[in-house]
Amino acid sequence: MTESATVPTPSASHDRVGFSLNRVSVIGVNTLTEAVRQKVFIFLLIIGLVFIGLAIFFSQYSLGEQEQLKVIKDTCLGVISVISTLIAIVGTAQLLPSEVENRTIYTILAKPVRRFEFLLGKFYGSVLLLVLSMVAMCLMFGAVLWIKEQSMIRELSQTYLGETQAAQEEANQQIQQIKIAVLDVNLVKAVLTDLVKAILVVSITLLVSTFSTSLVFNVAVPFMIYMAGMLRGTAVEMWGSHRLAMAVLAIVPDFGLFSLADDINLGNLVPWAHVDEVIVYGVARAVVIVVAAHLIFSRREI
Amino acid sequence: MRSKILIAILLLGAGLVLLPLENSVRAERTRLKYGGARVTIQLREAIGQNLAIALLAGMRGIVADFLWINGHSYWEKKEWLRQYRNIEVVAALQPQAVMFWDLGQWHMAWNIGYGVLSDPKNRTKAEGVKREREWHEKAREFLARGVENIPNRYDLYFTMGWLYYEKLSKDCDQPPCHEAFCKAAEYFGKAASFPDAPQFVARFYPRALEKCGQARAAYEEWKRLWFLDHSTVAQSWNIVEREIRQLEDELQIPNDQRLFPPPLP
Repeated sequence: MTESATVPTPSASHDRVGFSLNRVSVIGVNTLTEAVRQKVFIFLLIIGLVFIGLAIFFSQYSLGEQEQLKVIKDTCLGVISVISTLIAIVGTAQLLPSEVENRTIYTILAKPVRRFEFLLGKFYGSVLLLVLSMVAMCLMFGAVLWIKEQSMIRELSQTYLGETQAAQEEANQQIQQIKIAVLDVNLVKAVLTDLVKAILVVSITLLVSTFSTSLVFNVAVPFMIYMAGMLRGTAVEMWGSHRLAMAVLAIVPDFGLFSLADDINLGNLVPWAHVDEVIVYGVARAVVIVVAAHLIFSRREI
Repeated sequence: MRSKILIAILLLGAGLVLLPLENSVRAERTRLKYGGARVTIQLREAIGQNLAIALLAGMRGIVADFLWINGHSYWEKKEWLRQYRNIEVVAALQPQAVMFWDLGQWHMAWNIGYGVLSDPKNRTKAEGVKREREWHEKAREFLARGVENIPNRYDLYFTMGWLYYEKLSKDCDQPPCHEAFCKAAEYFGKAASFPDAPQFVARFYPRALEKCGQARAAYEEWKRLWFLDHSTVAQSWNIVEREIRQLEDELQIPNDQRLFPPPLP
């Protein structure tokens, strides 16, 4: 009798255990708890919050209210995009290798937990981490905008103090314009697409970490894929007519499609239908990549 | 090996399946004029390695803002050509930003224009005037590209009108140049046709018409403004009234046809 016939493989024994969202959720919350304790996460988040706060000072180098608000929004949304991408890569890259290295994966998979649940739990935990960090950065962004708005209104009110009624009316119009620019609901679209982009990066990093145990490899490869994805639009323009090139390019997600922040800031029309399409594209890509990660992880020798 | 092939097929297949959606999003981006100049070797050389990396990372807005703020130092140092090149790069990075076209042409026509006019290196006064006119023309050409990029907002039409009204109207052998005022009127008219244009834009149109030599058309335009609903349209009605009265005198409109006939003796 062969060994494989007598000793059931983990996947064979776990086939009898049904899929449970509850277990995925427990693993996800545990992953989040572990991740927020990491110094690298706290460091990245603090860096992000500091840069968002500094946007007020950067804006002072520019002329005019609208220009200053543009600088603040560009800086804050740029920082949110970069920091969330970094958190997605660094936060996810060590999830599976550390479980294997610390041998905690054995105790988890010895329990009635399917490998897919484990992987999905890790993915869910990373997404929670992203949401948490983005909420923190968005709150800081909101605070920065509010502070700037108040300071601009105060400045305008002082400038037009004691002026004629017509001048006062003009000041009121300017104050209204500032309020409209600050309370731009379209900024939500920029943050949403950034979140989906970061989730896609999480899925890529998870896929890489299912077959690699090197932390450097797990960080470097998703970063390179991200950069390649940012250049995909240019590559498609150059080699779009070649079928073979397009087939190769099809593997890499087009991260450039998620860049809506600039256009939203410029006051361009960004319809919800377009945002929805981008979100569907990102989520569909992420789902496929997580499935691919599962296919690798379920067959991996641990 | 079989599983590796399966995974490769899965990733490739998903990419191909999602290609139509991707192309649709990309086409929509092109239609809505999102983004800006492509990252080319020329652009990389113009902005430097670090900013090119930031650009590739998707931080187009920050790069443009940084370059713009940096451009102020060229202005302070009177390095006009560097400033001009910087303005061109920034506008190429974010061609949908009204601010860069607007302030860019202002730098060229007003600041650089005055800078070269009063440059002590000029051998004659005429040389300064010639150089100033060249910068006015550069500003006009630059702004025309801005209008092409952002045709759906009033801002740059007004700015172009203002450039003709204030600067190009002096650039002829015997200023004021009527042709420039006519062009200004054309652009002010376009700007005023946008519903969100501020009230002062509507007043510039008849004013430019008058300077263009079309006093009658200007009078009709002021009258059209006057007949708008005073309770719903925000306008400085005292200015409109003053201009109408002035033109009625200038055009010698008969008293019975005037909007504001003089009081009876």
